[in-house]
Parts: sequence; structure tokens; C-alpha cells
Amino acid sequence: MTVDMSVAAGGLHLRGPVLAASGTFGYGTEMPLLERRALGGMVSKGIFVRAREGTAPPRIAETPSGMLNAIGLQGPGAEGLVRDYAPQWATWDFPVLVNINGESASEYGELAARLDGVPGIAGFEINISCPNVEQGGLYFGNDPRAAAAVTEAVRKRTKLPVWVKLTPMVGDIGVIARAVESAGADALCAINTFVGMSVDLNSYKPRLSFRTGGLSGPAIRPLAVHLAHQAARAVHIPVIGIGGISRAEDALEFLVAGCVAVQVGTATFVNPRAIAEVHDGIAAFLETRGFGSLADLPRYLPRD
Amino acid sequence: MFVIGMRAPEVAESVRAGQFVNLGWAGGPLLRRPFSVYRADGDVIEVVLKAVGVGTAQLLAMELGDRVSCLGPLGRGFEIKGSHALAGRAQGAVLLISGGLGVAPMPLAARDARAAGARVTWVHGARTAGELCAETDGDEVIWATDDGSRGIQGTAVAAAPQADLVLACGPNRMLAAVADRWPEAQVAVETYMGCGTGVCLGCAVPLKRGGYDRACKEGPVYRAADVNWSMLPTHLAYSA
Repeated sequence: MTVDMSVAAGGLHLRGPVLAASGTFGYGTEMPLLERRALGGMVSKGIFVRAREGTAPPRIAETPSGMLNAIGLQGPGAEGLVRDYAPQWATWDFPVLVNINGESASEYGELAARLDGVPGIAGFEINISCPNVEQGGLYFGNDPRAAAAVTEAVRKRTKLPVWVKLTPMVGDIGVIARAVESAGADALCAINTFVGMSVDLNSYKPRLSFRTGGLSGPAIRPLAVHLAHQAARAVHIPVIGIGGISRAEDALEFLVAGCVAVQVGTATFVNPRAIAEVHDGIAAFLETRGFGSLADLPRYLPRD
Repeated sequence: MFVIGMRAPEVAESVRAGQFVNLGWAGGPLLRRPFSVYRADGDVIEVVLKAVGVGTAQLLAMELGDRVSCLGPLGRGFEIKGSHALAGRAQGAVLLISGGLGVAPMPLAARDARAAGARVTWVHGARTAGELCAETDGDEVIWATDDGSRGIQGTAVAAAPQADLVLACGPNRMLAAVADRWPEAQVAVETYMGCGTGVCLGCAVPLKRGGYDRACKEGPVYRAADVNWSMLPTHLAYSA
């Protein structure tokens, strides 16, 4: 028996429910695409209109069952992305979404307009949740009006699917989720990293040069499952779950809790085959439990 | 300082001096740990480590037959055979400078330098005689210790003679001193590392021309003059 793993997620048809999370898979060209058959899709490293250098080292610090990062969205900008990466994506058999960033709502819109229609780009993931930039980022993600304004600015400039990646650093994620849904988002991605800090007792200073960083990895998974679930309860558009997934069982928790798909991030740093293993493990689970398709998986999603 | 070996035939066959492997093991830390390949012989590669933390203690407690996950060889190693510094010389002089755990890539560097027909001098420095690596390679070996308990008192860089090609590995403060004396030296830089495969951008190396690139992809070996040493930590906690 072959399990049907395909899903419709926010304007895209995916052959499987496991995507590579932004910032953890580069532009998909860095490592040999081990077992690329398993990739439902990929979200590229976040970019701004212009190239960015990123933050000074140290940029990462390991923490219990997790890691802090403050990369600062180092990247080539729109021109470099269109020139160096999109042509390769156009030949791949899975969709690539670009994680887009800006310092103002209009800058997000400008970037979407620049990338709209470029072969190889299947959609956008609006990043209103990066904790590691001085301007923009998380600021847009914890204010429903600002979140909606950014979503609307992008929505107006493209017909491609628009997903919005939410921050966990809010009092009620449902409020933000409903605001971006109303502004025209096709799907939500929940969640980005938590803001954290770790101190070096030799230097008496933060371990990261940026002082704070985004916490990811297994440490945040129960928090992420809860927030993705809360977001899914609040809206009628699909939610893609993210946060600490390294095994199929982790992904299945998000799926049962109301997500249509998941993104695997930090686990790829540890295990380049993580996405394939999560994908295969979900299929094996469904088969063992007698489900013919992912759509048959029982969900726990009482509506708000 | 300890040496551990593992069966990794594909790595052993293809590894170049200065390249590294990223090791993970059951019950270990979340992220893999990068190690320069120390020696490669037949099917076996070796790495060196110090017992500095929980992770290294776990590695050292392993028994024969235990398994580790080994990703590699990663990064860009030393350019020895094709280096301009040795071009046209019947027997070039290659100088290896290592500080502390910086011994790690040197046996392979000595191997490759000899294979390129060069004469190899290895200068190895540490704080004290007890922290020096007991194993060395090369036609000539010079010791340097901060306290003078073995060899020349002072730094490895100060103790080093002139050479055609200089290869160095050690704490970043030592590599910065190498850069002052030999801007053309090839140095293997230490950084914290996330994935080792080029996707996380965690191992940023600040460059003199501005911007950063990745120790795991474009590095870990750099032309000494290309690195902006003032922006790197002088040494990392785990390398002591």
C-alpha cells in the first residue's frame, strides 16, 4: 500500500507535508540534496531587497536541546537571488518559496513585486518574526495592524501564494493570525524562533555578539505545538507547523494539532537526512495505523 | 590531549589536510562537533580532542565498536601541492605552526607537504610542557612553551624560522600573529559551527574586504591577510 502524502497548503499543491524551513537549508544548493524526493517544498533563506552582511560572530550558541542564532539575515538581496538561485529552482520538482523581509511595509511589497513572476519562485513566506534585525522583523509580528499592513502590501503586488511566518513572542497569537488572514494571507507558518539570551561566564558578556538570538530546536517543540494549534484554531486558512521537529512523531504532533504541513529546520543542521526521515516516518505511521492518506489522519482542532 | 580513531573509509580515502569531519553521537549534544582530521590510514581516520566538556567526555568514554555519525570530509583544506609558494622549487621549505589543539591538521599537512617534495619544519607551542602534543612529524621539530618548561620560551610564532610556505592552526590570537609576520600564510580558523554544510551561516568569518563567509565552506583555511582578526574571538572556550 502506498500512502497518499500530498497536501494542499495555502495555494500550493505539495507532494508531501514536510518542507525545509527558512534559514536552515540555504538556497537548497549548498548540500547535495539528499533524498530530495521527500521534500514537499523549500523555503529559502530570508532576504531583503538589498544584500546584507549579517551580524558579527559569534552568531550561534548551543543551549540545552536547542540553539540560539543571530545571523542577521545575511544574504545576496533580490538581484543575487534572481541571478544565482532562481534559475536552479525552476528545474526542481518541488516548489520553492522565498522568505521575504523589509524595514517597512512598502519595502516588503517592493521585494514581492521584484520577485513576482521570476521562474523558480512559487510563493512567498513573509517574515514578520525575525528577532535578529535592528529594523523591521519582529516589530511587525507582534502588532496586528503592522502585521496586516505588511501582508496587504505583499498581497497587492503578487498573485503567488503568500504565507506569513508568525512570531511566538506575542500575548495572543490568534489575534495576529486573524489579522493577517483578513489581510489576504493564504497560509500561516507557526512559529519562528523565541528570543533568548545566554551569558558567557568567562567574559561576563552575552555569548552572542547580537546579545540576543532566536531559540530553536527540540527545546521549543511543546511551546511551538501549542502556538501552532492556537493559530490553527483562530483561522480558516491552513497553518504550517514549525518548531523543534526532528522525528516523524514530532511532525505528527503538529499535524494532529491542526497543521496541514510542517517545516523542519534545526534538525537539518544535525542530520542532513532529517527531512527524508521525517517524511518516511509519517508515511510509515499512517500505513501502520491503517490510513490510506495523510488526509485521513485524525485531527484535534476544536474551533475558537 | 587524546586521539580517537574511527572507521570511515570514504573520508580516509579523500580527506585533505585542513579538512574536518562533523561528529554526532547518541546521547550527545544537539549539534555535531567539528574536528580536523588528524591522521588517515587505510580505512581509519583519527581526531584529537581535549576533555573540556560533557561532549568530549562522552566521546572519550566510548568503547571499541561504539558508533558515531561522521559527516565529511568538509571544508576547504590547505593548498600545498598546487601552492604558488612551492612552485618551481626542487625542495621547498614548508613550515607548520600549531598552538594547543591546533596540532590537529598538521600530520596530514606534513604528509601532503612531503608528498609535494618539501622539507617540513613543525613548530608546536603550548602554555606548558604538559599541554604539548606528544606526537610530532616533520624533518625538524621545534617546541615552544609560554613558561619555558620545554623548548624555546615564548610563542610558536616567535620561535618559527623562515619558510617558503607557512601553514598554521591554533587559537585565533596566534593566527593573528601569524598574519602579521606572514600575510600569505594559510591558516585554519576556529569558529563556533552549526551545520558544517554551509546552510546555517553560523560559522561566519569576518573578512578584511568586508562581509563574512563560512568557515565550513569557503574555509576553514584562509589566506592569513584576508581575515579581519580583530572581529574574531581570540580563542574559543572549548579549544582552551
